Amino acid sequence: MKNKKSAILTIYTALFFLYIFIPIILIFIFAWNSGEGYSFPLKGFTWRWFAELASDRLAKEAIRNSIIIALSSATISTVLAILLSIGLLKGPARRTGVFLTLLILPVLMPSLAIGIAALVFFRTINIPLGIPIVIVSHVSISMSYVFLILMGRIEGMPLDLQEASVDLGATWFSSVKDIIFPILIPAIIAGWLFAFMISWNEFIITYFLIGGNTTLPVYIFSQLRFGISPKVNVISVLVTLFTLSVIAILLASRKIYNKILMKERG
Amino acid sequence: MSFIRSKNKNLIYPGLLWFFIFFLLPLSVILIYAVTTRNLFSGEPLEFTFKNFAVIFQKKHYLIILLRSLKISFLTTIFSIIFSYPVAYYLAKRTRFDKALIVVLMIPFWINYLIRTFAWKLILSENGVLNQFLLWLKVIDEPVRILYSQTSVLLGLIYMYTPMMVLPLYASLLRIDDSLIEASLDLGASRIRAFFDITFKLSLTGIFAGTLLVFIPALGSFAIPAILGGTDSVMIGNIIENQFSRVGNWNFGSAFTVALAILSIVLVLFYSKIFGLESIYKNRGNI
Repeated sequence: MKNKKSAILTIYTALFFLYIFIPIILIFIFAWNSGEGYSFPLKGFTWRWFAELASDRLAKEAIRNSIIIALSSATISTVLAILLSIGLLKGPARRTGVFLTLLILPVLMPSLAIGIAALVFFRTINIPLGIPIVIVSHVSISMSYVFLILMGRIEGMPLDLQEASVDLGATWFSSVKDIIFPILIPAIIAGWLFAFMISWNEFIITYFLIGGNTTLPVYIFSQLRFGISPKVNVISVLVTLFTLSVIAILLASRKIYNKILMKERG
Repeated sequence: MSFIRSKNKNLIYPGLLWFFIFFLLPLSVILIYAVTTRNLFSGEPLEFTFKNFAVIFQKKHYLIILLRSLKISFLTTIFSIIFSYPVAYYLAKRTRFDKALIVVLMIPFWINYLIRTFAWKLILSENGVLNQFLLWLKVIDEPVRILYSQTSVLLGLIYMYTPMMVLPLYASLLRIDDSLIEASLDLGASRIRAFFDITFKLSLTGIFAGTLLVFIPALGSFAIPAILGGTDSVMIGNIIENQFSRVGNWNFGSAFTVALAILSIVLVLFYSKIFGLESIYKNRGNI
């Protein structure tokens, strides 16, 4: 009886995973299909759409902008979140709850509201739209996510470690640099990659703030509105492969770090 | 050694300053726009008014869109609970590979959602994959029109946000002690009764946390209805976008945005009042 129930659950779960992945599988198939339309049976194998993308200047500019924005916003937000997490969770415990409530807002509020607010704000104080303010706004959101990731790590860390190092003669600065920071490194790597991916995929806020420029998601959106070229599939394939390699690096780095830690501890 | 704590505390200022200037200040500025009539800093005197909000409820057109958005987001949430419950249950109670499967489940989440929405366009269009499949099965004689309707928007939203429901639901189911269920069975409860009285009730935290993660972004979505929807499936997000990119009525657009923001804040506060804020952090799953 129990096994039968489990079998149904297993099949259901398998179907659910199939459902989650089918759209992505379809995109991959049509990236190499030589027909213009999106219908079965498939026409034949081609690299044509890859070549077309390679000669698309706007697409390449979009990719470049996306990388610039993601690299800078991930780095800034990670630095801010490291300081914030140490200060908030290893500082005096007063009012921590209020700050935590405020800091979760960027995670839970619709991006549309955040994007519109930033648009109105920067236009009101007369700062031109463009890449710099997209970076600034991405930081405001990803900072909260990185903070959440760091929080998981720092909460379990006792203050005694830092206190002991100061007792033994370390300055406060070196107690942060040499004691807390190394403990946080796996969470910092995870947080930075997470922030990078948020910025890389972010569309709504960027759409309102990018002005005359473009990023990859904004470019894809414009392509979707003006008819669908299989070029979009090619971009999707490349982005997907890129994403998968980022995830792989993340998982591998965690494993390697744990191994090093195990070795150090003997 | 409280001097260490007080020195650590100084580290919050750069991040906090950033948060106040680039997150809270912009929100306050649209709040001002929402309750005034003119452009801020235009030199003209500001007039306080609730007119911008009243328009939302007075014009039938806007009221219909508001109610429709609430309906679509509500249905998205309900379906995401129904679809994800068995999966979350399987992951929490019936497999040892749950951690690996959750990593797999999160992969599509990292692939740009515009791209995944585009894939749904391929699936749902008139000569799309779904229609061809149904024709081939001979379930239908001629292609069904699904794309550019409320149904296609709903399908797109359910697809996009159901994984967000699986994570907190899984986390809450994982915490349930199996001996509670065994005890209730020993005491004579039926399996169904044990499920509803224990498992389901204890997973409510997960359901509510998931509701925040599904309902709020669904309500604020604008790309999915723009790509998959037609004229009968315009949502709040599209109205707001239109006000800022074409119509240019910032005061009215801000009122709509503020309404959306307030609604999400109220939901979050309501949740943290019942379950405590820590549980949002705990139920965030694997992010």
